[in-house]
Amino acid sequence: MRTALCIVEKELLELWRSPLLVASMVTLPATVVTMPIALLAWLSHAAPEQAVDFLRELYGVPAAASRAAALAAVLAKNWLPMFLVLPIFLPILIAAQSIGGERERRTLEPLLATPVSTLSIIAGKSIAAVVPSLAITWVSALAFCGGMDLIVWPELHALLLPDGAWLFGTLVLCPLLALFGNAAAVVVSSRVLDPRAAQNIAAMTVVPLLGVLVVQLAGRATLSARFYGTFAVCAAAADVALIAVAVRLFDREALLTRTR
Amino acid sequence: MPAIETRNLGKSFGGRRACWDISFEVARGEVFGLLGPNGAGKTTTLRMLAGLLAPDVGEAQVAGERIQAGRAGSARLRGRVGLLTESPGFYDRLTAAENLRYFGRLHGLTAHEADGRAARLLSRFALADHAQRPFAELSRGMKQKLAIARALLHQPEVVFLDEPTVGLDPEATREVRATVAQLASEHATLVLCTHHLDEVERLCSRAAFIAGRLVAIHAVGAQAGGPRVRIALSAPPSEGQLAIVRALPFVSSVACDGASLSLSLAAQGEGVPGAVAALVAAGARIEAVVPVRDVLEEAYVALLARARAEGLAA
Repeated sequence: MRTALCIVEKELLELWRSPLLVASMVTLPATVVTMPIALLAWLSHAAPEQAVDFLRELYGVPAAASRAAALAAVLAKNWLPMFLVLPIFLPILIAAQSIGGERERRTLEPLLATPVSTLSIIAGKSIAAVVPSLAITWVSALAFCGGMDLIVWPELHALLLPDGAWLFGTLVLCPLLALFGNAAAVVVSSRVLDPRAAQNIAAMTVVPLLGVLVVQLAGRATLSARFYGTFAVCAAAADVALIAVAVRLFDREALLTRTR
Repeated sequence: MPAIETRNLGKSFGGRRACWDISFEVARGEVFGLLGPNGAGKTTTLRMLAGLLAPDVGEAQVAGERIQAGRAGSARLRGRVGLLTESPGFYDRLTAAENLRYFGRLHGLTAHEADGRAARLLSRFALADHAQRPFAELSRGMKQKLAIARALLHQPEVVFLDEPTVGLDPEATREVRATVAQLASEHATLVLCTHHLDEVERLCSRAAFIAGRLVAIHAVGAQAGGPRVRIALSAPPSEGQLAIVRALPFVSSVACDGASLSLSLAAQGEGVPGAVAALVAAGARIEAVVPVRDVLEEAYVALLARARAEGLAA
Protein backbone atom coordinates (compact mmCIF):
# COMPACT_ATOMS: atom_id res chain seq x y z
CA MET A 1 0.00 0.00 0.00
CA ARG A 2 2.92 2.32 0.76
CA THR A 3 4.26 1.94 -2.77
CA ALA A 4 0.77 2.54 -4.22
CA LEU A 5 0.58 5.83 -2.30
CA CYS A 6 4.05 6.71 -3.53
CA ILE A 7 2.82 6.21 -7.12
CA VAL A 8 -0.26 8.36 -6.37
CA GLU A 9 1.97 11.13 -5.02
CA LYS A 10 4.22 11.05 -8.08
CA GLU A 11 1.32 10.96 -10.54
CA LEU A 12 -0.39 13.93 -8.87
CA LEU A 13 2.86 15.89 -8.82
CA GLU A 14 3.29 15.24 -12.54
CA LEU A 15 -0.32 16.22 -13.21
CA TRP A 16 0.12 19.43 -11.22
CA ARG A 17 3.12 20.29 -13.36
CA SER A 18 1.30 19.59 -16.64
CA PRO A 19 -0.70 22.78 -17.24
CA LEU A 20 -1.94 21.59 -20.62
CA LEU A 21 -3.36 18.36 -19.23
CA VAL A 22 -5.00 20.22 -16.34
CA ALA A 23 -6.45 22.74 -18.82
CA SER A 24 -7.81 19.94 -21.00
CA MET A 25 -9.42 18.37 -17.91
CA VAL A 26 -11.06 21.63 -16.84
CA THR A 27 -12.33 22.76 -20.24
CA LEU A 28 -15.19 20.28 -20.58
CA PRO A 29 -16.53 20.73 -17.01
CA ALA A 30 -16.36 24.52 -17.41
CA THR A 31 -18.44 24.24 -20.58
CA VAL A 32 -20.89 21.83 -18.95
CA VAL A 33 -21.41 24.32 -16.11
CA THR A 34 -21.50 27.65 -17.93
CA MET A 35 -23.54 26.65 -20.98
CA PRO A 36 -26.83 25.72 -19.22
CA ILE A 37 -26.52 28.59 -16.75
CA ALA A 38 -26.02 31.07 -19.59
CA LEU A 39 -28.92 29.44 -21.44
CA LEU A 40 -31.18 29.71 -18.41
CA ALA A 41 -30.23 33.35 -17.88
CA TRP A 42 -31.05 34.11 -21.52
CA LEU A 43 -34.30 32.14 -21.55
CA SER A 44 -35.42 33.77 -18.29
CA HIS A 45 -34.78 37.32 -19.31
CA ALA A 46 -34.36 37.76 -23.03
CA ALA A 47 -35.71 34.80 -25.00
CA PRO A 48 -38.77 35.29 -27.27
CA GLU A 49 -42.02 34.00 -25.78
CA GLN A 50 -42.39 31.40 -28.57
CA ALA A 51 -39.11 29.76 -27.59
CA VAL A 52 -40.19 29.49 -23.98
CA ASP A 53 -43.61 28.15 -24.99
CA PHE A 54 -41.92 25.52 -27.16
CA LEU A 55 -39.82 24.31 -24.24
CA ARG A 56 -42.78 24.31 -21.86
CA GLU A 57 -44.68 22.15 -24.35
CA LEU A 58 -41.75 19.83 -25.09
CA TYR A 59 -41.00 19.06 -21.45
CA GLY A 60 -44.57 19.37 -20.12
CA VAL A 61 -43.94 22.33 -17.82
CA PRO A 62 -47.17 23.68 -16.26
CA ALA A 63 -48.13 27.08 -17.64
CA ALA A 64 -48.69 28.38 -14.14
CA ALA A 65 -45.00 28.11 -13.18
CA SER A 66 -42.83 31.20 -13.48
CA ARG A 67 -40.56 31.42 -16.47
CA ALA A 68 -37.17 31.04 -14.71
CA ALA A 69 -38.33 28.42 -12.21
CA ALA A 70 -39.99 26.31 -14.88
CA LEU A 71 -37.00 26.35 -17.18
CA ALA A 72 -34.58 25.77 -14.31
CA ALA A 73 -36.53 22.69 -13.27
CA VAL A 74 -36.25 21.33 -16.82
CA LEU A 75 -32.51 21.93 -16.94
CA ALA A 76 -31.96 20.56 -13.46
CA LYS A 77 -33.64 17.32 -14.43
CA ASN A 78 -32.17 16.87 -17.89
CA TRP A 79 -28.64 18.04 -17.33
CA LEU A 80 -27.69 15.51 -14.64
CA PRO A 81 -26.53 12.83 -17.14
CA MET A 82 -23.97 15.33 -18.43
CA PHE A 83 -22.44 15.37 -14.96
CA LEU A 84 -22.32 11.59 -15.10
CA VAL A 85 -20.35 11.77 -18.32
CA LEU A 86 -17.64 13.89 -16.65
CA PRO A 87 -16.42 11.30 -14.12
CA ILE A 88 -16.11 8.72 -16.89
CA PHE A 89 -14.38 11.02 -19.32
CA LEU A 90 -11.94 12.83 -17.00
CA PRO A 91 -10.08 9.78 -15.57
CA ILE A 92 -9.63 8.52 -19.12
CA LEU A 93 -7.54 11.61 -19.90
CA ILE A 94 -5.11 10.60 -17.16
CA ALA A 95 -5.39 6.82 -17.01
CA ALA A 96 -5.07 6.19 -20.75
CA GLN A 97 -1.66 7.88 -20.51
CA SER A 98 -0.68 6.01 -17.39
CA ILE A 99 0.50 2.69 -18.80
CA GLY A 100 0.95 3.60 -22.48
CA GLY A 101 2.55 6.88 -21.49
CA GLU A 102 5.08 5.09 -19.29
CA ARG A 103 5.94 2.86 -22.21
CA GLU A 104 6.21 5.79 -24.60
CA ARG A 105 8.46 7.75 -22.23
CA ARG A 106 10.50 4.59 -21.58
CA THR A 107 9.88 4.76 -17.86
CA LEU A 108 8.00 1.46 -17.82
CA GLU A 109 11.10 -0.77 -17.69
CA PRO A 110 12.68 1.05 -14.71
CA LEU A 111 9.28 0.96 -12.98
CA LEU A 112 8.83 -2.78 -13.57
CA ALA A 113 12.43 -3.40 -12.48
CA THR A 114 11.51 -2.31 -8.94
CA PRO A 115 9.90 -4.76 -6.50
CA VAL A 116 6.56 -2.92 -6.77
CA SER A 117 3.61 -5.29 -7.34
CA THR A 118 1.18 -5.17 -10.25
CA LEU A 119 -1.66 -4.46 -7.83
CA SER A 120 0.20 -1.47 -6.37
CA ILE A 121 0.88 -0.06 -9.84
CA ILE A 122 -2.77 -0.36 -10.88
CA ALA A 123 -4.07 0.91 -7.53
CA GLY A 124 -1.66 3.86 -7.48
CA LYS A 125 -2.39 4.92 -11.02
CA SER A 126 -6.14 4.44 -10.58
CA ILE A 127 -6.34 6.52 -7.41
CA ALA A 128 -4.28 9.25 -9.09
CA ALA A 129 -6.72 9.30 -12.02
CA VAL A 130 -9.98 9.00 -10.06
CA VAL A 131 -9.35 11.49 -7.23
CA PRO A 132 -8.68 14.64 -9.32
CA SER A 133 -11.44 13.68 -11.75
CA LEU A 134 -13.96 13.32 -8.95
CA ALA A 135 -12.79 16.56 -7.37
CA ILE A 136 -13.28 18.44 -10.64
CA THR A 137 -16.70 16.82 -11.15
CA TRP A 138 -17.86 17.73 -7.65
CA VAL A 139 -16.61 21.31 -7.90
CA SER A 140 -18.39 21.60 -11.27
CA ALA A 141 -21.62 20.16 -9.84
CA LEU A 142 -21.42 22.60 -6.94
CA ALA A 143 -20.88 25.50 -9.36
CA PHE A 144 -23.81 24.34 -11.52
CA CYS A 145 -26.20 23.99 -8.58
CA GLY A 146 -25.07 27.35 -7.18
CA GLY A 147 -25.49 29.08 -10.55
CA MET A 148 -28.99 27.68 -11.07
CA ASP A 149 -30.05 28.61 -7.54
CA LEU A 150 -28.71 32.11 -7.96
CA ILE A 151 -30.91 32.65 -11.01
CA VAL A 152 -34.11 31.18 -9.57
CA TRP A 153 -33.70 32.50 -5.99
CA PRO A 154 -35.45 35.87 -6.69
CA GLU A 155 -38.56 33.98 -7.84
CA LEU A 156 -38.54 30.82 -5.69
CA HIS A 157 -36.82 32.04 -2.49
CA ALA A 158 -35.72 28.41 -2.09
CA LEU A 159 -32.91 26.16 -3.30
CA LEU A 160 -33.81 24.23 -6.44
CA LEU A 161 -30.63 22.15 -6.41
CA PRO A 162 -29.27 19.81 -5.30
CA ASP A 163 -32.34 17.61 -5.14
CA GLY A 164 -32.40 13.90 -4.32
CA ALA A 165 -31.43 12.83 -7.83
CA TRP A 166 -28.47 15.21 -7.92
CA LEU A 167 -27.26 14.12 -4.49
CA PHE A 168 -27.49 10.46 -5.49
CA GLY A 169 -25.94 11.16 -8.88
CA THR A 170 -22.96 13.11 -7.63
CA LEU A 171 -22.27 11.26 -4.39
CA VAL A 172 -22.98 7.67 -5.47
CA LEU A 173 -23.00 7.43 -9.26
CA CYS A 174 -20.08 9.76 -9.96
CA PRO A 175 -17.52 7.74 -7.91
CA LEU A 176 -18.79 4.49 -9.46
CA LEU A 177 -18.54 5.92 -12.96
CA ALA A 178 -15.11 7.42 -12.29
CA LEU A 179 -13.89 3.95 -11.31
CA PHE A 180 -15.48 2.57 -14.47
CA GLY A 181 -13.83 5.15 -16.75
CA ASN A 182 -10.49 4.60 -15.09
CA ALA A 183 -10.68 0.80 -15.25
CA ALA A 184 -11.71 0.95 -18.92
CA ALA A 185 -8.74 3.19 -19.65
CA VAL A 186 -6.31 0.91 -17.75
CA VAL A 187 -7.61 -2.15 -19.63
CA VAL A 188 -7.31 -0.46 -23.02
CA SER A 189 -3.97 1.13 -22.12
CA SER A 190 -2.59 -2.31 -21.20
CA ARG A 191 -3.45 -3.67 -24.65
CA VAL A 192 -3.01 -0.71 -27.01
CA LEU A 193 0.54 0.57 -27.47
CA ASP A 194 -0.30 4.12 -28.58
CA PRO A 195 -1.58 6.16 -25.61
CA ARG A 196 -3.56 8.48 -27.93
CA ALA A 197 -5.34 5.52 -29.50
CA ALA A 198 -5.94 4.12 -26.01
CA GLN A 199 -7.50 7.42 -24.95
CA ASN A 200 -9.80 7.51 -27.97
CA ILE A 201 -10.90 3.89 -27.56
CA ALA A 202 -11.54 4.30 -23.82
CA ALA A 203 -13.47 7.51 -24.45
CA MET A 204 -16.01 5.48 -26.44
CA THR A 205 -17.36 4.23 -23.10
CA VAL A 206 -19.18 7.54 -22.62
CA VAL A 207 -21.18 7.13 -25.82
CA PRO A 208 -24.11 5.13 -24.26
CA LEU A 209 -24.50 7.75 -21.54
CA LEU A 210 -24.44 10.54 -24.10
CA GLY A 211 -27.19 8.64 -25.93
CA VAL A 212 -29.29 8.66 -22.76
CA LEU A 213 -28.68 12.39 -22.43
CA VAL A 214 -29.77 13.04 -26.02
CA VAL A 215 -32.94 10.94 -25.63
CA GLN A 216 -33.84 12.80 -22.45
CA LEU A 217 -33.07 16.25 -23.90
CA ALA A 218 -35.23 15.38 -26.91
CA GLY A 219 -38.11 14.90 -24.50
CA ARG A 220 -38.43 11.22 -25.44
CA ALA A 221 -37.81 9.83 -21.97
CA THR A 222 -37.58 10.88 -18.35
CA LEU A 223 -34.98 9.23 -16.19
CA SER A 224 -36.59 7.96 -13.00
CA ALA A 225 -35.15 7.24 -9.56
CA ARG A 226 -35.45 3.57 -10.43
CA PHE A 227 -33.35 4.10 -13.53
CA TYR A 228 -30.60 5.77 -11.50
CA GLY A 229 -30.75 3.02 -8.87
CA THR A 230 -30.45 0.28 -11.47
CA PHE A 231 -27.70 2.24 -13.20
CA ALA A 232 -25.73 2.42 -9.92
CA VAL A 233 -25.97 -1.35 -9.39
CA CYS A 234 -24.86 -2.01 -12.98
CA ALA A 235 -22.00 0.48 -12.66
CA ALA A 236 -20.80 -1.17 -9.44
CA ALA A 237 -20.90 -4.62 -11.07
CA ALA A 238 -19.06 -3.30 -14.14
CA ASP A 239 -16.42 -1.73 -11.87
CA VAL A 240 -15.69 -5.01 -10.12
CA ALA A 241 -15.50 -6.87 -13.43
CA LEU A 242 -13.34 -4.29 -15.17
CA ILE A 243 -10.90 -3.95 -12.28
CA ALA A 244 -10.49 -7.74 -12.23
CA VAL A 245 -9.88 -7.71 -15.99
CA ALA A 246 -7.42 -4.81 -15.63
CA VAL A 247 -5.34 -6.73 -13.07
CA ARG A 248 -5.49 -9.90 -15.17
CA LEU A 249 -4.51 -8.18 -18.40
CA PHE A 250 -1.60 -6.30 -16.86
CA ASP A 251 1.08 -8.63 -18.19
CA ARG A 252 4.42 -7.15 -17.15
CA GLU A 253 6.39 -9.14 -19.71
CA ALA A 254 4.05 -8.41 -22.61
CA LEU A 255 4.03 -4.70 -21.75
CA LEU A 256 7.80 -4.64 -22.04
CA THR A 257 8.26 -6.72 -25.13
CA ARG A 258 5.15 -6.31 -27.30
CA THR A 259 5.77 -4.13 -30.33
CA ARG A 260 2.27 -4.15 -31.86
CA MET B 1 28.30 -19.27 -4.16
CA PRO B 2 28.75 -17.16 -7.32
CA ALA B 3 26.79 -13.91 -7.60
CA ILE B 4 25.23 -15.13 -10.84
CA GLU B 5 24.90 -18.62 -12.20
CA THR B 6 22.89 -19.40 -15.33
CA ARG B 7 22.22 -22.79 -16.88
CA ASN B 8 20.90 -23.15 -20.44
CA LEU B 9 18.74 -20.05 -20.22
CA GLY B 10 16.60 -19.44 -23.29
CA LYS B 11 13.81 -17.14 -24.37
CA SER B 12 11.60 -16.85 -27.46
CA PHE B 13 9.18 -14.17 -28.58
CA GLY B 14 6.32 -15.29 -30.77
CA GLY B 15 8.18 -18.37 -31.97
CA ARG B 16 11.40 -16.45 -32.71
CA ARG B 17 14.29 -17.48 -30.50
CA ALA B 18 15.92 -14.45 -28.89
CA CYS B 19 18.60 -16.41 -27.03
CA TRP B 20 19.32 -19.95 -25.94
CA ASP B 21 21.95 -22.06 -24.20
CA ILE B 22 23.13 -19.15 -22.06
CA SER B 23 25.28 -20.62 -19.30
CA PHE B 24 27.87 -18.73 -17.31
CA GLU B 25 28.92 -17.82 -13.80
CA VAL B 26 29.92 -14.47 -12.38
CA ALA B 27 31.86 -14.38 -9.11
CA ARG B 28 31.08 -11.86 -6.40
CA GLY B 29 32.92 -8.62 -7.05
CA GLU B 30 33.63 -9.55 -10.67
CA VAL B 31 33.00 -7.20 -13.59
CA PHE B 32 31.64 -9.36 -16.37
CA GLY B 33 30.99 -8.25 -19.94
CA LEU B 34 28.25 -9.33 -22.33
CA LEU B 35 29.31 -8.78 -25.91
CA GLY B 36 27.53 -9.43 -29.16
CA PRO B 37 26.04 -7.84 -32.25
CA ASN B 38 22.64 -6.14 -32.29
CA GLY B 39 19.77 -8.54 -31.72
CA ALA B 40 22.11 -11.14 -30.23
CA GLY B 41 19.98 -11.55 -27.09
CA LYS B 42 22.11 -9.56 -24.66
CA THR B 43 19.30 -7.32 -23.39
CA THR B 44 16.91 -10.29 -23.19
CA THR B 45 19.50 -12.12 -21.08
CA LEU B 46 19.87 -9.10 -18.79
CA ARG B 47 16.11 -8.72 -18.46
CA MET B 48 15.76 -12.37 -17.46
CA LEU B 49 18.50 -12.01 -14.87
CA ALA B 50 17.00 -8.77 -13.53
CA GLY B 51 13.62 -10.46 -12.97
CA LEU B 52 11.74 -8.70 -15.77
CA LEU B 53 11.26 -11.63 -18.15
CA ALA B 54 10.62 -15.29 -17.49
CA PRO B 55 12.97 -17.68 -19.30
CA ASP B 56 11.27 -20.32 -21.44
CA VAL B 57 13.95 -22.86 -20.59
CA GLY B 58 16.85 -23.16 -18.21
CA GLU B 59 17.36 -21.72 -14.79
CA ALA B 60 19.49 -19.17 -13.00
CA GLN B 61 20.47 -17.93 -9.61
CA VAL B 62 21.14 -14.23 -9.07
CA ALA B 63 22.13 -12.80 -5.67
CA GLY B 64 20.85 -15.98 -4.06
CA GLU B 65 17.41 -15.74 -5.72
CA ARG B 66 16.26 -18.45 -8.13
CA ILE B 67 14.89 -17.87 -11.61
CA GLN B 68 13.07 -20.79 -13.18
CA ALA B 69 11.64 -21.53 -16.61
CA GLY B 70 8.19 -19.99 -17.02
CA ARG B 71 8.52 -17.75 -13.98
CA ALA B 72 10.07 -14.30 -13.94
CA GLY B 73 12.28 -13.46 -10.99
CA SER B 74 10.48 -12.48 -7.81
CA ALA B 75 10.02 -9.03 -6.28
CA ARG B 76 12.78 -10.02 -3.84
CA LEU B 77 15.16 -10.57 -6.74
CA ARG B 78 14.25 -7.19 -8.24
CA GLY B 79 15.02 -5.67 -4.86
CA ARG B 80 18.48 -7.23 -4.79
CA VAL B 81 19.67 -6.22 -8.24
CA GLY B 82 20.08 -2.84 -9.88
CA LEU B 83 19.35 -2.35 -13.57
CA LEU B 84 20.56 0.45 -15.80
CA THR B 85 18.12 0.27 -18.69
CA GLU B 86 19.10 1.12 -22.25
CA SER B 87 17.29 4.44 -22.02
CA PRO B 88 17.49 6.46 -18.74
CA GLY B 89 13.66 6.41 -18.29
CA PHE B 90 12.87 9.22 -15.86
CA TYR B 91 9.96 11.62 -15.54
CA ASP B 92 10.65 14.90 -17.33
CA ARG B 93 8.65 17.14 -15.01
CA LEU B 94 10.18 15.79 -11.82
CA THR B 95 13.56 17.04 -10.63
CA ALA B 96 16.59 14.77 -10.47
CA ALA B 97 16.18 14.45 -6.69
CA GLU B 98 12.42 13.78 -6.94
CA ASN B 99 13.00 11.08 -9.53
CA LEU B 100 15.54 9.32 -7.31
CA ARG B 101 13.29 9.67 -4.26
CA TYR B 102 10.40 8.09 -6.20
CA PHE B 103 12.39 5.05 -7.31
CA GLY B 104 13.96 4.74 -3.87
CA ARG B 105 10.52 4.56 -2.29
CA LEU B 106 9.39 1.98 -4.85
CA HIS B 107 12.31 -0.09 -3.58
CA GLY B 108 10.82 0.10 -0.11
CA LEU B 109 12.93 2.91 1.33
CA THR B 110 11.25 5.52 3.52
CA ALA B 111 11.12 9.05 2.10
CA HIS B 112 13.85 10.06 4.56
CA GLU B 113 16.12 7.15 3.60
CA ALA B 114 15.51 7.71 -0.10
CA ASP B 115 16.32 11.42 0.19
CA GLY B 116 19.51 10.71 2.14
CA ARG B 117 20.78 8.11 -0.32
CA ALA B 118 19.75 10.23 -3.31
CA ALA B 119 21.69 13.19 -1.93
CA ARG B 120 24.80 11.05 -1.40
CA LEU B 121 24.63 9.55 -4.89
CA LEU B 122 23.96 12.91 -6.54
CA SER B 123 26.99 14.28 -4.77
CA ARG B 124 29.13 11.24 -5.69
CA PHE B 125 28.24 11.57 -9.38
CA ALA B 126 28.76 15.37 -9.39
CA LEU B 127 25.05 16.00 -9.85
CA ALA B 128 24.36 17.74 -6.54
CA ASP B 129 24.18 21.17 -8.20
CA HIS B 130 21.54 19.83 -10.57
CA ALA B 131 19.42 18.02 -7.98
CA GLN B 132 16.57 20.51 -8.18
CA ARG B 133 16.53 20.80 -11.98
CA PRO B 134 13.77 19.05 -13.91
CA PHE B 135 15.04 15.88 -15.53
CA ALA B 136 14.16 17.21 -19.00
CA GLU B 137 16.73 20.00 -18.58
CA LEU B 138 19.70 17.73 -17.81
CA SER B 139 22.33 16.89 -20.42
CA ARG B 140 22.51 13.36 -21.88
CA GLY B 141 25.54 12.53 -19.75
CA MET B 142 23.85 13.78 -16.58
CA LYS B 143 20.73 11.75 -17.40
CA GLN B 144 22.79 8.61 -17.81
CA LYS B 145 24.70 9.22 -14.58
CA LEU B 146 21.38 9.77 -12.82
CA ALA B 147 20.21 6.42 -14.19
CA ILE B 148 23.34 4.76 -12.81
CA ALA B 149 22.63 6.44 -9.46
CA ARG B 150 19.12 4.98 -9.55
CA ALA B 151 20.51 1.50 -10.18
CA LEU B 152 22.60 1.85 -6.99
CA LEU B 153 20.00 3.59 -4.81
CA HIS B 154 18.81 0.47 -2.99
CA GLN B 155 22.35 -0.87 -2.57
CA PRO B 156 21.91 -3.91 -4.81
CA GLU B 157 24.18 -6.95 -4.67
CA VAL B 158 24.44 -7.17 -8.45
CA VAL B 159 24.25 -4.31 -10.94
CA PHE B 160 23.31 -4.82 -14.60
CA LEU B 161 24.39 -2.05 -16.97
CA ASP B 162 22.73 -2.23 -20.39
CA GLU B 163 24.65 -0.18 -22.95
CA PRO B 164 25.69 2.55 -20.51
CA THR B 165 27.29 4.78 -23.16
CA VAL B 166 25.05 4.21 -26.16
CA GLY B 167 24.00 7.42 -27.89
CA LEU B 168 26.20 9.65 -25.75
CA ASP B 169 28.58 12.28 -27.11
CA PRO B 170 32.31 11.74 -26.45
CA GLU B 171 32.36 13.97 -23.37
CA ALA B 172 29.34 12.28 -21.81
CA THR B 173 30.75 8.87 -22.77
CA ARG B 174 33.94 9.72 -20.92
CA GLU B 175 32.02 10.83 -17.83
CA VAL B 176 29.87 7.70 -17.77
CA ARG B 177 32.88 5.42 -18.36
CA ALA B 178 34.65 7.05 -15.44
CA THR B 179 31.58 6.43 -13.29
CA VAL B 180 31.43 2.77 -14.29
CA ALA B 181 35.20 2.43 -13.73
CA GLN B 182 34.70 3.87 -10.25
CA LEU B 183 32.05 1.23 -9.53
CA ALA B 184 34.30 -1.51 -10.88
CA SER B 185 37.14 -0.37 -8.63
CA GLU B 186 34.82 -0.71 -5.63
CA HIS B 187 34.49 -4.47 -6.27
CA ALA B 188 30.79 -4.27 -7.05
CA THR B 189 29.43 -7.24 -9.01
CA LEU B 190 28.73 -5.70 -12.40
CA VAL B 191 27.42 -7.16 -15.62
CA LEU B 192 28.20 -4.78 -18.45
CA CYS B 193 26.31 -5.22 -21.68
CA THR B 194 27.92 -3.18 -24.45
CA HIS B 195 29.09 -2.92 -28.04
CA HIS B 196 32.24 -1.07 -27.03
CA LEU B 197 35.13 -3.49 -26.84
CA ASP B 198 37.41 -0.93 -25.22
CA GLU B 199 34.90 -0.58 -22.36
CA VAL B 200 34.98 -4.33 -21.80
CA GLU B 201 38.75 -4.41 -22.16
CA ARG B 202 39.21 -1.63 -19.63
CA LEU B 203 36.65 -2.71 -17.04
CA CYS B 204 35.90 -6.41 -17.24
CA SER B 205 37.84 -9.46 -16.18
CA ARG B 206 35.89 -11.76 -18.51
CA ALA B 207 33.36 -11.32 -21.28
CA ALA B 208 30.74 -13.64 -22.73
CA PHE B 209 30.20 -13.41 -26.45
CA ILE B 210 26.54 -13.92 -27.30
CA ALA B 211 25.12 -14.40 -30.78
CA GLY B 212 21.76 -15.96 -29.99
CA ARG B 213 23.51 -18.61 -27.94
CA LEU B 214 26.60 -18.13 -25.84
CA VAL B 215 29.50 -18.67 -28.25
CA ALA B 216 32.46 -18.25 -25.91
CA ILE B 217 33.67 -16.74 -22.69
CA HIS B 218 36.87 -14.80 -23.11
CA ALA B 219 39.33 -13.64 -20.47
CA VAL B 220 40.02 -9.94 -20.80
CA GLY B 221 42.92 -7.61 -19.90
CA ALA B 222 45.41 -9.04 -17.42
CA GLN B 223 43.39 -12.26 -17.34
CA ALA B 224 43.91 -12.69 -21.07
CA GLY B 225 47.67 -12.87 -20.75
CA GLY B 226 50.44 -10.32 -21.15
CA PRO B 227 50.57 -7.33 -23.44
CA ARG B 228 51.26 -7.47 -27.16
CA VAL B 229 53.59 -5.26 -29.12
CA ARG B 230 54.34 -4.70 -32.80
CA ILE B 231 57.96 -3.86 -33.71
CA ALA B 232 58.66 -2.31 -37.12
CA LEU B 233 62.19 -3.02 -38.41
CA SER B 234 64.05 -1.32 -41.26
CA ALA B 235 64.40 -4.72 -42.99
CA PRO B 236 62.91 -8.21 -42.56
CA PRO B 237 64.62 -9.97 -39.62
CA SER B 238 67.09 -12.77 -40.22
CA GLU B 239 66.47 -16.29 -38.91
CA GLY B 240 69.11 -15.68 -36.26
CA GLN B 241 67.45 -12.51 -35.04
CA LEU B 242 64.09 -14.29 -34.90
CA ALA B 243 65.61 -17.19 -32.96
CA ILE B 244 67.11 -14.79 -30.39
CA VAL B 245 63.75 -13.10 -29.81
CA ARG B 246 61.88 -16.42 -29.61
CA ALA B 247 64.37 -17.60 -26.98
CA LEU B 248 63.68 -14.67 -24.67
CA PRO B 249 61.98 -15.98 -21.48
CA PHE B 250 59.36 -13.19 -21.36
CA VAL B 251 58.25 -13.65 -25.00
CA SER B 252 55.47 -16.20 -25.37
CA SER B 253 55.01 -15.98 -29.14
CA VAL B 254 56.46 -14.23 -32.19
CA ALA B 255 54.82 -13.64 -35.56
CA CYS B 256 56.69 -12.13 -38.46
CA ASP B 257 55.11 -10.29 -41.39
CA GLY B 258 57.82 -8.85 -43.62
CA ALA B 259 59.69 -6.25 -41.59
CA SER B 260 57.07 -6.26 -38.85
CA LEU B 261 57.26 -8.45 -35.74
CA SER B 262 54.30 -9.13 -33.47
CA LEU B 263 55.32 -10.26 -30.00
CA SER B 264 53.09 -11.66 -27.26
CA LEU B 265 54.73 -11.00 -23.93
CA ALA B 266 54.32 -13.17 -20.88
CA ALA B 267 53.88 -10.21 -18.52
CA GLN B 268 54.21 -6.47 -18.12
CA GLY B 269 57.57 -5.08 -17.03
CA GLU B 270 60.84 -5.67 -18.81
CA GLY B 271 59.20 -7.40 -21.81
CA VAL B 272 59.22 -4.54 -24.32
CA PRO B 273 62.62 -2.96 -23.49
CA GLY B 274 64.16 -6.44 -23.17
CA ALA B 275 62.93 -7.51 -26.61
CA VAL B 276 64.05 -4.23 -28.17
CA ALA B 277 67.50 -4.50 -26.55
CA ALA B 278 67.92 -8.11 -27.75
CA LEU B 279 66.99 -7.19 -31.34
CA VAL B 280 69.37 -4.20 -31.34
CA ALA B 281 72.15 -6.39 -29.93
CA ALA B 282 71.48 -8.87 -32.77
CA GLY B 283 71.99 -6.09 -35.33
CA ALA B 284 68.39 -5.20 -36.18
CA ARG B 285 67.43 -1.55 -36.81
CA ILE B 286 64.18 -0.61 -35.11
CA GLU B 287 61.93 2.07 -36.61
CA ALA B 288 58.88 1.92 -34.33
CA VAL B 289 57.46 0.05 -31.34
CA VAL B 290 53.65 0.07 -31.12
CA PRO B 291 51.64 -1.55 -28.32
CA VAL B 292 48.78 -3.70 -29.62
CA ARG B 293 45.50 -2.97 -27.83
CA ASP B 294 43.05 -4.90 -29.97
CA VAL B 295 43.35 -8.36 -28.40
CA LEU B 296 39.66 -8.46 -27.62
CA GLU B 297 38.75 -7.00 -30.98
CA GLU B 298 40.63 -9.81 -32.69
CA ALA B 299 38.85 -12.34 -30.53
CA TYR B 300 35.50 -10.62 -31.16
CA VAL B 301 35.98 -10.65 -34.92
CA ALA B 302 37.04 -14.30 -34.83
CA LEU B 303 34.05 -15.26 -32.68
CA LEU B 304 31.68 -13.27 -34.88
CA ALA B 305 33.04 -15.05 -37.95
CA ARG B 306 32.57 -18.37 -36.16
CA ALA B 307 29.02 -17.44 -35.19
CA ARG B 308 28.25 -16.44 -38.77
CA ALA B 309 29.67 -19.69 -40.04
CA GLU B 310 27.32 -21.49 -37.68
CA GLY B 311 24.42 -19.33 -38.89
CA LEU B 312 24.02 -17.62 -35.52
CA ALA B 313 24.73 -13.98 -36.43
CA ALA B 314 23.73 -11.91 -39.43
